[in-house]
Amino acid sequence: MSEYVIEMNHIRKEFPGIVANDDITLQLKKGEIHALLGENGAGKSTLMSVLFGLYQPEAGEIKKDGKVVKIDDPNDATALGIGMVHQHFKLIEVFTVLDNIILGAETTGPMGFLKKKEAREKVIALSEKYGLKVDVDAKVEDITVGMQQRVEILKMLYRDNDILIFDEPTAVLTPQEIDELMEIMRGFAKEGKSILFITHKLNEIMAVSDRVTVLRKGKYVGTVNTKDTNKQELSNMMVGRPVQLEIHKKPATPGDVVLKVENLTVPSKIHKNNAVNNVSFDVHAGEILCIAGIDGNGQTELVYGITGLEKATGGKITLLGQDISNASIRKRAMAGMSHIPEDRHKHGLVLGYTLEQNLVLQKYREPQFQSHGFIKFDEVRKYANKLIEEFDVRSGQGPITVARSMSGGNQQKAIIAREMDRDEPLLVAVQPTRGLDVGAIEYIHSKIVEERDLGHAVLLVSLELEEVMGLSDRILVMYEGEIVGEVDPKKTTPEELGLYMSGAKRQGKEAE
Amino acid sequence: MPRLEPGTGKTKWYRTDGAVAVYSALISILIGMAVGAIIVVIVGLLKSNISPTGIWEGVRLVFLGVFSTGREGSQLSFGFNAVNLGNMLFRAVPLIMTGLSVAVAFKTGLFNIGAAGQYLMGTMGTLSVGLWLGWAGVPTFVAWLCAFLVGVILGGLWGAIPGLFKAFLNINEVITCIMTNWIAANLVTWWFDAHEMFKNSAEGGKVGYVIPLKNVGVVTPKMFMDVLFKGSQANGGFWIAILIAVAMWIMMTKTTFGYELRACGSNRHAAKYAGINDKKNIILSMAIAGCLAAAGASLYYLSGNTEFYWSTYQKLPAEGFNGIPVALLAANHPIGVIFSGIFMSMLNISGIQLKYLTAYNEYISDIIIAVIVYLSAFSMLFKTVLSKKIRKGTGGNVNAEPAPAPAAATPEVQNAQEEKEIIQNTKDFEEDILEDYKQLFDETAEKVQAESEEGGQK
Repeated sequence: MSEYVIEMNHIRKEFPGIVANDDITLQLKKGEIHALLGENGAGKSTLMSVLFGLYQPEAGEIKKDGKVVKIDDPNDATALGIGMVHQHFKLIEVFTVLDNIILGAETTGPMGFLKKKEAREKVIALSEKYGLKVDVDAKVEDITVGMQQRVEILKMLYRDNDILIFDEPTAVLTPQEIDELMEIMRGFAKEGKSILFITHKLNEIMAVSDRVTVLRKGKYVGTVNTKDTNKQELSNMMVGRPVQLEIHKKPATPGDVVLKVENLTVPSKIHKNNAVNNVSFDVHAGEILCIAGIDGNGQTELVYGITGLEKATGGKITLLGQDISNASIRKRAMAGMSHIPEDRHKHGLVLGYTLEQNLVLQKYREPQFQSHGFIKFDEVRKYANKLIEEFDVRSGQGPITVARSMSGGNQQKAIIAREMDRDEPLLVAVQPTRGLDVGAIEYIHSKIVEERDLGHAVLLVSLELEEVMGLSDRILVMYEGEIVGEVDPKKTTPEELGLYMSGAKRQGKEAE
Repeated sequence: MPRLEPGTGKTKWYRTDGAVAVYSALISILIGMAVGAIIVVIVGLLKSNISPTGIWEGVRLVFLGVFSTGREGSQLSFGFNAVNLGNMLFRAVPLIMTGLSVAVAFKTGLFNIGAAGQYLMGTMGTLSVGLWLGWAGVPTFVAWLCAFLVGVILGGLWGAIPGLFKAFLNINEVITCIMTNWIAANLVTWWFDAHEMFKNSAEGGKVGYVIPLKNVGVVTPKMFMDVLFKGSQANGGFWIAILIAVAMWIMMTKTTFGYELRACGSNRHAAKYAGINDKKNIILSMAIAGCLAAAGASLYYLSGNTEFYWSTYQKLPAEGFNGIPVALLAANHPIGVIFSGIFMSMLNISGIQLKYLTAYNEYISDIIIAVIVYLSAFSMLFKTVLSKKIRKGTGGNVNAEPAPAPAAATPEVQNAQEEKEIIQNTKDFEEDILEDYKQLFDETAEKVQAESEEGGQK
C-alpha cells in the first residue's frame, strides 16, 4: 500500500499555444489536508480538471493507492471516490436539500421508484455524524450560502467519497462560518479522508492544512510542510518575488464631506423587500470608507443607487453639495464621481473593444478625443499609451489588444487606470481586487491608498475581510439592506465584524 | 487573435481579423456553391430529360452564370456579358442596402429581421410620392429627391417602432419586427388597393401592379452605368448604394456616435455604465436600419422600369430577408456588404441563366443562398478556428525571426513576457470563447427559428 492515496506525477497539459500544466506533481497522503496554492492562471483548475477527468493530460500519470488509473470522465473520478465542492455551487435551487444530495446517485426500488426514506436516513445520519447542520426538506433557494455549502459537502459524503476537493470554499462565508468549515475539514481528516484545499488565502492555509503545494504560471514550485513555513515564504513562492502582504498607509486626514447619502432606498430585483433600506452615511475627502458585509446584503444595489445604474426609490444623494438623486449616470460621473464597478466584464469593459477604446470609455466625448463627432485616433492612442505605461497594463498588443484576450488582473488594471486618471473627487470602488492574484492586489491597494492621499474620497465595497480591515479608515457593515454598525478598523476584530455581518449584532441608531 | 509581427508593431494584412473574416466568408461561399453544384448533379441524374452534358452545363452555369453569353450552336458560350453584369449590379442595390440595414443593427446588438417591412414602407413612400409629384409636374430632380427621402423616412419611422418597444418595454426586437413586417405588408396592400390612381391599368393583362415611375419620368440618372453596361438596367443607384455603405462605415468606425452604437451592441451594461444613453441608441440604430432598408427599395423602384406587385399581404419581399445572409457573409462590415450583396445578386443572375439555357429552374440559386445562410452562421466558427491556426503560425515566426528590439526589452525577454502573459490569459480566454460559442449558438438557434417561421408564412 502506497503512502499516498492520490498521486499525480509529472502531469503536462497543453492548450493550443500554451502549457497550462508543465510537469506538475501532486501527492496526497491519506488523512491529510493538502493545500494547493497559486495565483490565477497558475494551473490549479486545470490540474483539478485533469484529476476529475475533464481533461486528458498529454503526459504524466495518476495513481490511486499506488496503482495507475485512467480517469476518462467525472464518472470515473466518482467511482474512485473523488468528490469536489466547486467554487460556484452546482445545486438546483428549486429542489429540496435532500433531492439535491441524492441527484445522480439515487437509490431506486422496483419500477424505478425513488427510495427517499432510506436516502433521507442516510443524509441525516451523515449530517449528525459530521456536524453538518442542514434542513433536508428546505428548498435550496431558501437556505443560506453556508448551508448550501454544507449540502455540497454532504453530496460528496453521500457518495462515499474519501478524497474531497474544496475549490476556494471560503470565498462566500463569514468568519464564523469559515471557522466552522475548518473544524469540519479537520474532522474529515481525522476520519481518514484526504482533503485537497484550493485557495489563495494564506491565513486559511496556515490554520488548517498539513502540507502545501505551490504552483506558479503552470509550473510546479514545491511542496512544503505547513508547520515549517510562514505566510511570507508561501506568498513569495506563489508570486516568484518578495511580496508586501501588509498594506502600509499613513493615518487618514478626513476633510469635508464629498458624498452625502441620506435615507437611500433601492428596490430589489429579486425579492419584494428593498435591497437597500433607508441607508445614510457620509464619505469625507481623504478617507477610505468601506462597506463590509456578506455578498447579497444590498451592497451592489447601494452602489447602483449611488452611481445611477439603478433608480433609487427614495432618499437623497449629494455629491460636493450638488443634489444628484435624479441625475443621469453621465451627469453623476461629470459631477465628480469615478466608479470601479463590481463586475469588470459586465460593466467595466466592453470586451469586444480594444484596450485603447476601453481606456477612453469615460472620456471619448471630451474635446481632447473628438472634434465634430469624429474620434481623434492619434490622441486616443497617445492617451492609451500613457495610461498603459503609467499603470503597467500588460497585454499582447498594447493599445490594440482586444480587452477580451487580456488577463483578469490586467483588465482590472485598465479599469483602474481609466477611473483613477479621471482624477475625480469621489472614487467608488467595488471589490476592486476580486479574483486577482497577490501581486495585482498589492498594486491595486497601493493605488487606492494613493488616491486617498491625494485628498479624494474613496467609497470601497469589499467582501474580503482582510481587505476591509487593512485598507479602510472607517467601516460600515451592511446586513439585509441596512447599515447595522460602524466600526473603526483599528479597534475592531474580524470576529466582531463577523457578528455584525451575520446580523447577530447591531448598533442602534447611532450608525445613521 | 492575430499576433504582432516582431519589431514592426503591426499585424500583417493577411493575418488581421478583417482578412480572416474574408477567408471564412469565402469558405462559406465555396461550400455553398459546391453544395449547389452537387444538387445540380443529383437533380440532373434524377430527371430523365437532362443529359450528362446538361448536367455539366448546369454546374458551369452555377459558378459562371453571370459570364454566360447564351449559346453558340449547341455549346454554352461564356464571355463578357454587359447585360448580365449590369443587371447583377442593379439587383445588388436593394441587397446591399438591406444588408447594411441588418449589419448596422447587428453592430448595436439588434437583430433587424424587419428589413422586409421597412423595405415595403420605403416602396410605398417612394412610389406614391414619385407618382404624385410626377403628375403634378414638379421638376424631375426635386420629385426624385422627395420620393427618395419620403421612402427613406417612412422606413426609418417603421424601423424605430421595434426600437421603441425594445428600449422602453424590453420586448425582443425579433418579435416586433416580425409583427411590423406583416403590418407593413397589409398596410401597403390596403394603400394601393384603396387608391385607384396608382394602379397600372394601361397595360392589359397586368393586374395588381403599380404604375412604374418611368411613366412620370421620375427615374435615377444612369451615371455612366449605361455606358459601362450597355442594355442592362444598371443605373446610378449603384453608386449611391456604395456611397451610403462608405458613409455607414465611417459612421460606425470613425465617429463617437458609432463608438457609442457599437459599445451598446457589444456590451449594453458597460455602455450604460459609461453614461451612454442605451435606450436612445437602440431606437436610433433601428431607425437608421429602417432608413437603409427603405433606401434599398427607393433606389430599386426609382430605376423606373421595375414594377411593384402590391398584394404584398401574401408575400414579403425576399430582399428584406436576403439582407441577413448578405450582412452575415460580410461579417457585418459595411464595405464587405457591398461585395456580399453583389455576390448574392450574381447567384440570382446564375439562376435566371439556368432557367433560360438549361432544363433546370432558377430555384437552384435559392438553394445555394439557403446553404450559404446556414454556413454564414458558421462563418464565426471558421473565423475562430482560422484565427487559432494563424496565431499558432505567427507564434513560430516570433521565434524564427527575432526582430530589432524596441526600447530596452530584448527579443528573448519580450517573448518570455508574452509567453507568461499567454499562460495567464488562457483560462479567462478559454472561458470567454466558450461563452461566446454558447451565445452564438443561442443566437443562431433564435435566428433560424425566426427565419423558418417567416418562411412558413411565405
